[in-house]
Amino acid sequence: MSNLSFVGKSRKRKDGPDKVTGKAVYSQDVKLPGTLTGRILRSPHAHARILRIDTSRAKALPGVKCVITVDDTKGIKHGFVETPRYPPDQEVFARDKVVHIGQEIAAVAAINDMVAAEAVGLIEVEYEILPALFRPLASMKPGAVEIQPTHPKVDEPYTNIAGKTETEWGDVEQGFAEAHLVRTDRFESHLRTHGYLEPHVTLAHWENDKLNVWTSSMGTFVKRSKLAKVLDLPFSSVRIHKTYTGGTFGGKIDLYTHEYAASRLSMLTNRPVRIVASREEIFSAYRHGQPLTVELKTGVDRNGVLVAQQIKIINNAGAHRGSGVVVIFLCWGFTMAPYRIPNFKYEGYSVYTNYTTRAPQRGHGCPQVRFAIESQMDMIAEELGIDPVTIRMNNARDPEEDLPNSDNVHQAGLKDCLRLAAEKTDFLRNYGQTRKAADLAGSKRRGWGIGLSSYFTGSLIYPNGSGVMVKMNDDGSAVVLTGALDVGQGAETVISQIVAEELSLEMEDIKLVTSDTDTTPQDIGAWISGMTYVTGNASREAAGNAREKLLEVAAEQMNTPKSDLRLQDKMVISISNPDNRLSYRQVIAASVATHRGDTIIGEGFWRTMRDEPMHPSLATTKGRWSENYAFSVQVAEVEVDIETGEARLIKALTVHDCGFPVNPGLVKGQVDGQVSMALGHAFMEEVVTRNGSTLNTNWLDYRMPTIHNMAISEDADVITEQYKVGQPYRTKEVGEGLVSAILAAMANAVYDATGVRLHSTPFTPAKILSGLQKLEQKKAG
Amino acid sequence: MIEAVKSRSRKRLITLTVNGEEHEIAIRPNAMLVDVVRDQIGLTGTKSGCSSGSCGACTLLIDGRPMLACSTLAVECDGKAIRTVEDLADGERLSPIQEAFLDQGAVQCGFCTPGMLMSVTALIASNPKPSHQEIKKALEGNLCRCTGYNAIFNAVLQATGQDGIKPIMF
Ligand code: FES
Ligand code: FES
Repeated sequence: MSNLSFVGKSRKRKDGPDKVTGKAVYSQDVKLPGTLTGRILRSPHAHARILRIDTSRAKALPGVKCVITVDDTKGIKHGFVETPRYPPDQEVFARDKVVHIGQEIAAVAAINDMVAAEAVGLIEVEYEILPALFRPLASMKPGAVEIQPTHPKVDEPYTNIAGKTETEWGDVEQGFAEAHLVRTDRFESHLRTHGYLEPHVTLAHWENDKLNVWTSSMGTFVKRSKLAKVLDLPFSSVRIHKTYTGGTFGGKIDLYTHEYAASRLSMLTNRPVRIVASREEIFSAYRHGQPLTVELKTGVDRNGVLVAQQIKIINNAGAHRGSGVVVIFLCWGFTMAPYRIPNFKYEGYSVYTNYTTRAPQRGHGCPQVRFAIESQMDMIAEELGIDPVTIRMNNARDPEEDLPNSDNVHQAGLKDCLRLAAEKTDFLRNYGQTRKAADLAGSKRRGWGIGLSSYFTGSLIYPNGSGVMVKMNDDGSAVVLTGALDVGQGAETVISQIVAEELSLEMEDIKLVTSDTDTTPQDIGAWISGMTYVTGNASREAAGNAREKLLEVAAEQMNTPKSDLRLQDKMVISISNPDNRLSYRQVIAASVATHRGDTIIGEGFWRTMRDEPMHPSLATTKGRWSENYAFSVQVAEVEVDIETGEARLIKALTVHDCGFPVNPGLVKGQVDGQVSMALGHAFMEEVVTRNGSTLNTNWLDYRMPTIHNMAISEDADVITEQYKVGQPYRTKEVGEGLVSAILAAMANAVYDATGVRLHSTPFTPAKILSGLQKLEQKKAG
Repeated sequence: MIEAVKSRSRKRLITLTVNGEEHEIAIRPNAMLVDVVRDQIGLTGTKSGCSSGSCGACTLLIDGRPMLACSTLAVECDGKAIRTVEDLADGERLSPIQEAFLDQGAVQCGFCTPGMLMSVTALIASNPKPSHQEIKKALEGNLCRCTGYNAIFNAVLQATGQDGIKPIMF
């Protein structure tokens, strides 16, 4: 594998031409004749008993074809997590009570959007308002109003606990007693949303006992399983078709009620039904990320080496279990992976509040938890008089270390990342200069900050594995059947590169059929940070399997052993006698002629952690989590205006060990996008709510980065050479973990520029100004 | 209410020249251009991201000027020339701007791409060598959540032959 032609190269996007010409089909682009418009009635209350629903006036409106409520469903529940401990907990429509604003009460199908809107307005619902809770600390108080029952296995006197994760090793108390320095800090994060440009759209068409669905998703097979379940249909009766997804970042993975509603309404009317979520609905009723409170107690020795760490996370988890119980598990993982912690105690609580149900959001807890840990690391370093690079070096994991869950970090490039990041930014020369300088002119202050992070690469969760088929055509070109979904990350490109490499084909020789639940093999989907690793390796196996079959037939035909054969330009060539050669076309024809009519089809399958029966325990963290850990170190250069408190990211450096980058250009795109999303997180974005109701329901009020906020984004990868040697498929996560360390780096850079230490996101002018004021007072007083 | 709906939906006939082809179409007077172009003319390359003038995904050209099709009444475009993303390539040959987007990795999910391309097309038509600030000004109404704008910015520089920007994708 020394001469790579495709893998490791910045090949242009396979879906690029379609996307720049307007040909790429998204769910909103699929049109069927006779389509009805569906619309959803949502709760205006955050917590209320439903006393009565009367749909009769809506049903009587001319042009209305169907109205459904919970009584028209089979009452089958679904959930982001569906395990014995955390069984499905959510119905598609509210039954008896609503638990958040925007919760779905009913859905209508009508001949057009105006009639549908009017019909929704004619549905009468009588509520009895209940007290609503929005702060987890209030919600978990013994005796608080019950939003949902506390998990039966949590035997603490709290209410509204959706789930708890706890684990420990060593002896933290003793560790703290022996530590040279112990710090306790508390960090808060805020509510943000995904900001995918494509709104949720679902078109469903029930025809001949088959439900055809086009919907914005992150994996068609997960969607199918949940949709079929709540509709009580066999998987074979539900087909999710391929469409491109216009951005997701976690916000399109769960089953959404509009998907159920469009489907059910189509089944009842025998007409196609489309439901489009308005941007206002998305902001006010759909799922956002998860604000965490992180209480962090850390003990270190004189050199800043961790002796003990205790962490307690409280997740403001919204009104259903959602992915909240996953976040509190993941935060443990994001804590234990990068640094060695000899004594450790972890508790995570996911607490129901009357907010909309939460979804995964790029990084899924990692930015929030790294913000806390990396901020505190800098505080500790300063107290000890150690620089930010050295203290991290003293704690960072070495290659081949075992993790407490018996995973192994293998060739972890963390220390290389640290070294390179510090060197490339001249970090130790820049850091601290602004605060040291006396009488700086003007109001602009520069600061530098550093952070690090680790992210897992795929874990076991349904559908657990990916299959890929490579069908050779008679002319030697290939069709690849894969369930992988391109949500922008470049799945189609990467898979094509791998197949091209393994079969010595050109990119143009490969056509893909993707993410269609009826015609492509099952796939893990674009949401568990493992697609390039899992589906990529399935692609390698499938192409390799096709290659072996080609070689076997060629060896027979060419009277030479397989070991004497090589592939080049769609030819099989004898190494010892290069004149002895057959084109793929000839080999395939020979296979059909002499082998019962066999055409050449390769199959490949992959699953991470092949020997593990299942995923780790979300409650105890026991069991293996991942077999590939990605590492990164990020440096932020921030400018703060000390008069206005306004801060912005000027430049980011991302140094990462993402394993072998199959396509460095696509990796760069992921880096830039994550830096941008993180700067929005740090300085701009917040879903502002009052009593559970979203106040900023459009992009004029929810400030997402525009081109004016663009930061310089540089990146470098480390130890790529090591992966090249026989491991070009040892790929690691690179699509979501990089929103994490950079967030912490920006907080640390704000401190470096101003001396203001921020304990909560976002880093607003008000917080920075008040911090500056306190510093002034301290100086004066 | 129903009466109001009926009178609002009394259709009007307008003529639009879309990508050089003349269309005579009957539209509801409150129909937005984005819906007419996507649903009635059938050109779905133009995207609908927010329907409220805040994302730029629906940007197309009206008489050469970039406009938000979700915030433009179709009746106002009677007799005007509309240009959409479908018109940028010459058959299989992509325009230099489209090429530059692919060369620079400026496309990820692709949902902002048609609107971005139209804004850039209008910019370059009126200003073949825009400054950095002019590029930002021209694209400030087009949101992109995937790329962080860096690659898009570089694509405009490449398309206008500036700063020695070379392709990064091959
Ligand atoms: S769809 Fe027109 S600006 Fe968003
Ligand atoms: S490429 Fe996805 S929004 Fe721009």
